[in-house]
Amino acid sequence: MRDNTLKYLLVLPAVLVVFATAIWPLIEAARLSFTVGRLNRPGSLDQYLGWENYTWAFFEEPAFWNSVWVTAVYTVLTVGLTTILALGLALLLAPGGRLRSAAQTLLILPFAMSPALIGVSFRFMFNPEFGLFDAFFGVVIPPLADVSWLADPTLAFAVVVMADVWGWIPFLTLVLIGGLASVPRDTIEAAQVDGASGWRVFRDVTLPQLGPVLAVVIILKAIFSLKTFDQVFMLTNGGPGTATQTLSHYIYFNGMKYGQIGYSASVAWLMVIPMIFLTYAYAKFVFRKA
Amino acid sequence: MTGKQRQRLLGTVQVSLILAAIFVMLVPIAWIFLAAFKTHVDVYQLKLFFTPTLENFGTVFDDPYRLGEKLFNSTIVALVTVVIAIPIATLAAYSFSRFSLRGETLMLVIILATQFVPAVVIILPFFVMFRDIGLLDTRLGLILVNLAIVMPFAIWMIKGFIDGIPMDTEEAAMVDGSSRLQVIRNIVLPMAAPGLLTSGIFCFIIAWNEFLFALILTNKDAVTLPIGLALFKGEEGDLWNLLSAAGIIIMAPMFVLALMIRKYFVQGMTMGAVR
Amino acid sequence: MAEVHLKNLTKRWGDFIGVDDQSLHIADQEFLVLLGPSGCGKTTTMRMIAGLEDPTGGEIWIGDRMVNDDLPKNRDVAMVFQNYGLYPHMTIFDNIAYPLRVRGVAKAEIGPRVEKAAAQVELTEFLHRKPKALSGGQRQRVALARAIVRTPKVFLMDEPLSNLDAKLRVTMRAELKHLSRALKITTVYVTHDQIEAMTLADRVAVMRHGVIQQLGTPDEIYNDPANLFVAGFIGSPAMNLINGSVQDGMFVTTGGTRLVKVKAADRARAILGVRADDLTVHEAGQGDIDVTIYAFENTGESTLLTVQWGKQRVIARGDRHLRKDQDDVVGIRLNSDHLYLFDPETEQRIDV
Repeated sequence: MRDNTLKYLLVLPAVLVVFATAIWPLIEAARLSFTVGRLNRPGSLDQYLGWENYTWAFFEEPAFWNSVWVTAVYTVLTVGLTTILALGLALLLAPGGRLRSAAQTLLILPFAMSPALIGVSFRFMFNPEFGLFDAFFGVVIPPLADVSWLADPTLAFAVVVMADVWGWIPFLTLVLIGGLASVPRDTIEAAQVDGASGWRVFRDVTLPQLGPVLAVVIILKAIFSLKTFDQVFMLTNGGPGTATQTLSHYIYFNGMKYGQIGYSASVAWLMVIPMIFLTYAYAKFVFRKA
Repeated sequence: MTGKQRQRLLGTVQVSLILAAIFVMLVPIAWIFLAAFKTHVDVYQLKLFFTPTLENFGTVFDDPYRLGEKLFNSTIVALVTVVIAIPIATLAAYSFSRFSLRGETLMLVIILATQFVPAVVIILPFFVMFRDIGLLDTRLGLILVNLAIVMPFAIWMIKGFIDGIPMDTEEAAMVDGSSRLQVIRNIVLPMAAPGLLTSGIFCFIIAWNEFLFALILTNKDAVTLPIGLALFKGEEGDLWNLLSAAGIIIMAPMFVLALMIRKYFVQGMTMGAVR
Repeated sequence: MAEVHLKNLTKRWGDFIGVDDQSLHIADQEFLVLLGPSGCGKTTTMRMIAGLEDPTGGEIWIGDRMVNDDLPKNRDVAMVFQNYGLYPHMTIFDNIAYPLRVRGVAKAEIGPRVEKAAAQVELTEFLHRKPKALSGGQRQRVALARAIVRTPKVFLMDEPLSNLDAKLRVTMRAELKHLSRALKITTVYVTHDQIEAMTLADRVAVMRHGVIQQLGTPDEIYNDPANLFVAGFIGSPAMNLINGSVQDGMFVTTGGTRLVKVKAADRARAILGVRADDLTVHEAGQGDIDVTIYAFENTGESTLLTVQWGKQRVIARGDRHLRKDQDDVVGIRLNSDHLYLFDPETEQRIDV
């Protein structure tokens, strides 16, 4: 068989799978978003009502805007904190040596942990009676000694952010260590010989060359932050009230708990839009070399 | 302070910071490991020293929790997902790597993008469809939707590995008398085998840890381990010793697998955007 | 064994022309070298013969068969790759045996043939190792053994020596020459190294921009270059090219020096080509012209003098015992038997 036919046959199964498992649901979700779409009402999945689900979300549902706000703040905080902490850790660990490479190996562990389990683990750590972090913060910051973290809207949000940052630092650190390793050693040494201090070397030489990797990491983290569901579900289940209800959680709740498939599909599609921009930005980096 | 003294001090500060970081990273995991061997009573005290017990691991497999069934479901679902995904992804990855196809970049971008589509969007139509055709709460249904998240990783990761195999070798085999399919079987597959294994492990971990699909699609027969965690919510709150034991059963195998392929974790997650 | 015919062969990628409508006849048992700088189309030409690249136009004939539509495996050629293309997961034995196995040669026959090929390239003791355990030169031999284990119609070699260090390259070059004379198989050899081309080839095709500039024996290419490109590309150091004009049967440099008698009609612009070896060095006042030394280099086997000649610098080769220094003045004499004149517009040779 000539390659010209073969090359399309080879990709066919994969394209079919991707179409069936990702493209079709997107299209079908778009269709559902224009229907009444109640799970418990037969026929309502084909009952069209135009843009009503969207206008409802925009103008009648403070809970929607709440989850948009929660997700936005959550994304900004987790992306910022994770990136800064991971960059610091990467700089600490990049030189190598026994302790540092052991630390790099250990970093894999939290990353292999199921996000749901991370949620459980942080619920455990912040248990008001016997949580280790709860006890620790109680000693370090006395005013926090007697609070019940997950019952307070602000503190619960802080815990959710902490769990996320904890879970993602390892991955970002490992990527940045890889990025640091690809910064040519001689450019750093040249700057040192030229008389730059450690900080100046970092700011003038290392950081600019790390730029693309940093951008990739930030985009990737933003995408995953926007989608966050697992930890939130296990840690706070969106509460107290709706203080930690992210968009994914809001969609899940409306779709599955209230059976409003049509409405939740419309919110889901609103969530896809920022993803398209982020994916576009990400793809630019992936194809930069090619 | 002389330069040398400053350097030594800086070194000490760095080592302390590294140790602190390791501590913060490991404590939540270690705490679960400890709690899993504690009795119900010991958990409720911040005890570091206690008489370890294996009792919790027995309890979670007994009625009413029956974690064994969940373990079985998780294993089957993750394994079958990988066994379906890797061969399909390998063929596609080979083609993407070696040929130029019409619309290749577009296809690759779409495949890349599917990874970023929120799982909650994908699952709504699947839930409706599975309800209509009776695939709710089945392992098969779970496997099908898991392909959605595993496939893009597998294609991109394997493509990376095949890109790294020199073209020369394949061309030599073709001139030596192989057809394209023989080249794939005799040359590419053996050379890419470590990469395929790595990708398989990577996808296995993703499928194993998958939460949202299982939460929505299963409730009894096909419940997987991460969803099984919800079982340990007793009347008087969480049963932390049992939760911890279940947690170990979920994460320990993944730790082993992850350490096996740690070199490639970054590459897999970033899909070639880095390095 | 077979001849190779390329008829109006063309390869284009979009607007980029890799090989531009080239025809070439390679005789049976001939060792033909495609020589040229990178990007000149030599490798593309070879890859089209192998079937690894589809031509945009033209025909490729191997023997009496038009092979354009044949897959590489059906063309009965053997190829040695620049990076060797060894199968890293197979032993050396299996590497060499692969072309036989995949063609369904009987098992009993494979062993002896592999061993014979291995012996020819002195690899016998390494047959059970993997490529990774071999040095660069040994890997090169494996690639060679894999090619000679069958008797293909044509050998194709794509810069096979370029990854070896300088010393090994000289040894392998001699071995290759010896082997090719013994095997008597039509060979197409791609290189950018003129020494390889000169030493190995029966005929050399010098290529540039997808076009064969000159096709001839190494002697013809060296002593009778068809144009400026070939003249400048062949020879080390490169041929000196001096701008000037022809007036009254004399070549006059742009600086106005009446340099040497040439047998050519008068023309306003011309380029004179003369090799370093054809410029002899004399004491000041005893040559055709006195020049100042810009740099004096002693290479051991001879000396090289870069001299300032008006606005240009030219290189002359001196005796190995000659000792001069920068800024010394010497006389230079041109060997009028080996002068070349070129037209700066067309870059073609003008008969002297």
